[in-house]
Amino acid sequence: MAFTGVLAVEEETREVFMNVGTAGEIIFYVVSTLTIGVFFWGSYRRVKKYRRGRAAFRMANLKKALFANPFQGVRRREDTWSVGAVAANSSVARRDRAAGIAHFFVFWGFITLFIGTVILTIDYDIVRKASKLIVGEEMSFFQGTFYIVYSVILDTMGFTAVLGLAYLAFRRGAIRPKKLDYERAEKPEGGYSRSKIVLGDWVFIGLFAAILATGYFLEAFRIVATGFPSFEVWSPVGWVLGRGFEAVGLSTAAAGTAQIITWWTHAALALTFVGMIPFSKAMHMLLDGVNLLVHDRSSVRHLPAPPPEAEHVGYQELSDFTWKELLDLDACTKCGRCHEVCPARTAGAPLSPRDLILDLRQWADANTGGITLLDHETRPDRTGPLTVDHEAPIAGGVISSRTLWSCTTCMHCVEVCPVGIEHVPTIVQLRRGLVDQGDMDPTLQTALKNLSTQGNSFGKSARMRARWTKGLDFKIKDARKEPVKYLWFVGDFASFDDRLQANSIALARILNAAGVDFGILYEGERNAGNDVRRVGEEGLFEMLADHNIAALESAQFEEIFTTDPHSLNTLRNEYPERGASYKVWHYTELLLDLVESGTIPVRSLGQKVTYHDPCYLGRYNGVTEAPRKLLKALGCELVEMPRNGANSFCCGAGGGRIWMDDSFLEERPSENRIREALGVGVDKFIVSCPKDVTMYSDAVKTTGNEGQMEVRDIVFLVQEALTNKPAEPGDLLERTGV
Amino acid sequence: MRIVVAMKAVPDLVEEIELTPDETDIDREYLKFVLNEWDDQALEEALLVKDATGAEVVAVGLADDPDIDQALYTAIAKGADGAVMLEGGGADTHSRAAAFAEYLAKEPADLVITGVQAPDDLDGQLAPMLAARLGQRHVSVVVGVEAKDGNVVVRQEFSGGRAHVLELPLPAVIGLQASRETPRYAPITRIRQAMQAGGVRGESVSTDVASSGLSVRRMFRPEQTSHAEMLEGDVDDIADKILELLRERGMVKG
Repeated sequence: MAFTGVLAVEEETREVFMNVGTAGEIIFYVVSTLTIGVFFWGSYRRVKKYRRGRAAFRMANLKKALFANPFQGVRRREDTWSVGAVAANSSVARRDRAAGIAHFFVFWGFITLFIGTVILTIDYDIVRKASKLIVGEEMSFFQGTFYIVYSVILDTMGFTAVLGLAYLAFRRGAIRPKKLDYERAEKPEGGYSRSKIVLGDWVFIGLFAAILATGYFLEAFRIVATGFPSFEVWSPVGWVLGRGFEAVGLSTAAAGTAQIITWWTHAALALTFVGMIPFSKAMHMLLDGVNLLVHDRSSVRHLPAPPPEAEHVGYQELSDFTWKELLDLDACTKCGRCHEVCPARTAGAPLSPRDLILDLRQWADANTGGITLLDHETRPDRTGPLTVDHEAPIAGGVISSRTLWSCTTCMHCVEVCPVGIEHVPTIVQLRRGLVDQGDMDPTLQTALKNLSTQGNSFGKSARMRARWTKGLDFKIKDARKEPVKYLWFVGDFASFDDRLQANSIALARILNAAGVDFGILYEGERNAGNDVRRVGEEGLFEMLADHNIAALESAQFEEIFTTDPHSLNTLRNEYPERGASYKVWHYTELLLDLVESGTIPVRSLGQKVTYHDPCYLGRYNGVTEAPRKLLKALGCELVEMPRNGANSFCCGAGGGRIWMDDSFLEERPSENRIREALGVGVDKFIVSCPKDVTMYSDAVKTTGNEGQMEVRDIVFLVQEALTNKPAEPGDLLERTGV
Repeated sequence: MRIVVAMKAVPDLVEEIELTPDETDIDREYLKFVLNEWDDQALEEALLVKDATGAEVVAVGLADDPDIDQALYTAIAKGADGAVMLEGGGADTHSRAAAFAEYLAKEPADLVITGVQAPDDLDGQLAPMLAARLGQRHVSVVVGVEAKDGNVVVRQEFSGGRAHVLELPLPAVIGLQASRETPRYAPITRIRQAMQAGGVRGESVSTDVASSGLSVRRMFRPEQTSHAEMLEGDVDDIADKILELLRERGMVKG
């Protein structure tokens, strides 16, 4: 290659196609062009698949993530991520610091090397060619100080990628975390194998490592072959490696031969990698940034409605999914974080959020002619995700109904997913199809039938809803008849369950004694519909919500508080879409306010307790501080369980699971949780959700820990700490001398 | 095959049932009415026959039954091909049978399935009366209906777990005790769609052509009695006592 003009000056640089020769260069350009063609063809096929999905309405998220709030989520998990959070790898480092740092190194190493290659292309293929055409001589900026700075940056960043990759390979190969073993939660009868996926992971890491290694070797051989020009010390890794080769006796001539062989190896590996990107695990490099930018956790709090124009109920074909849901499927890197935290999977149920996403991905690929290299499961009987041509329905076939019914909608999967996948809305969309086909537990069916006739899952008369108030020596105001400050939305369990009515009575007495102006809707209240919606019975949810909204509209109040975190979620987040926007509090927030303001004088209890965050309160709605502050105000020493706050472990009752059979589970999630609590050395398990009282009281018994652990609603701690006890029915009579 | 399911709405027993001031009837004013649970089973069995053979299923109820339209639309939502609401007819089982018979004379069915009983027809009179009026064969206490070569094969249940299987030609009237499968769930969306489509047809029948001739003089609340007996002793004693009780009541042999 002839260097003329500006390049003739002896400047610090390196020859770009050193020793390759004109023929070699032509071959390289032809193969590169073909490879880039394959890359774009594969990428186009992926994009075409997403475009078959419905509208997802995420452009506002994208804008916010890019421009309006480019640092959202960098330090703390919020509903959305941002370009800053993607750059900082915040979602990856969260909950797995070491893997996050390693990924950060690889991520930025790769990006830097990519930018380096682009710069080189700009210089070699554009600036030099254009300048030759225009001014008649080749001009280049790839020399002198620029070359030195370029070299040192690329050499260093490439090395960080090596370090990161080494840790990740070590973790995968030697530490072997359970979440990376790819064992399915649901074992298909005909058997399955994921060995191709495992191999694909190693090919991904291996190719990447080999590209980096050959790059450094190439650099070292070049430095040896060119006789260690002094400025090449700014390629430190290559320099040191070159000195090593020199020390073991590599001659300049041999280095030249090694250089050209390594050059072709490096080029072949790099081009193979580029060509594989759209067909393998490597595609996550392109998709996951996008998926994070359009991610919106709030879609779990207020679930999307069924497809408005669909002629069938539930998802039956690819075009029923939104493009975001389809993108979710391809975004999964199989990191297994959701698999690890999922209460269904932990309990031995057939659901693993990771498997669900991978199965749907493979099904989508199988039905759109998607090509995957070492990124799919094999099954001899071609069932489940290998089903093609509508041979089996998606819900109940590709994904078994038992799997779909196992979800407690606890949202832990969405919470921990480092790539912004929203599993829960997809699961509910699939459940809608099951409900439409009547494919459900008989006990769930009974509950839904009761809810549709009487508005409660207990099958009790709707008019008996406020019967528990007969246990009070005062009458709670009827908010439909007289104005109140707070409307108390009591909820089904706190109203009808014999074991929980005492909680409601205690709360009513405390509030009454504190002079809080509150009322209830009496028989006007229905189940709020949160779990009905998550079961997938959208019509029933609408019916219940509309009934409640009519009752709320007929009542006079300023704000709402609920006992049940599930009711709170739907009232706070889903009723506004139906035209009912109110300020909705949880009773722990209200009690904290009353205690902190001194309205309720309390003494210090001095008890050692642990606290369980209900999924729908902590993870869904971020109410984790109020109950803790309340415990502190009551003088309790809080011993946290390892899984707390937004990382709390589900009791197993959510998403309608409380109405379904759980006898097939190996260990109920609630039992797992009680064992966790026993492990931190406390004997008081404090909860703030009526369902939790039921779930955990049972779990204490079924784990044989009666007497070892006491499950108490936080309201009873407040009651115990009162310095001015509210009058018991008998007290009043004594004092008045009747 | 055309299958008619004769239906009845009855008070939801989770409600507190009050008597009218003259104590000759229950106070229906504030009661919630639901489909008689045996009729729900009858509908399910008819739909199972439909699933197997493609038979036409029509649900029929009396317009005077409170909330019957809800049950009829639910039937359509579950898969019935149509529903008919009969205007006229009376309240007691005799006149109900007459009303259904009059309708069936106009629009004959190959098979009529109805609940073997109802909370206010514990004798299970409707199916035999209807069969008598139509002059058709009748089997009651049936726990399974299947179509076979133009006939139906039914499984009739007796006490003590015995049953026999009968094959009978059509037309026939069946009093159904239990369907082979749990009655299917009707999603609210489908019920609403059925309501919007307005698939319930009205038909008028004569009123009170054949009342039972009986008049209610007074109704009584059930007496509150307690039959709970706590068994005492160690595990073996209690087990013996339970076994003895089961033998006494003929629930186990030997």
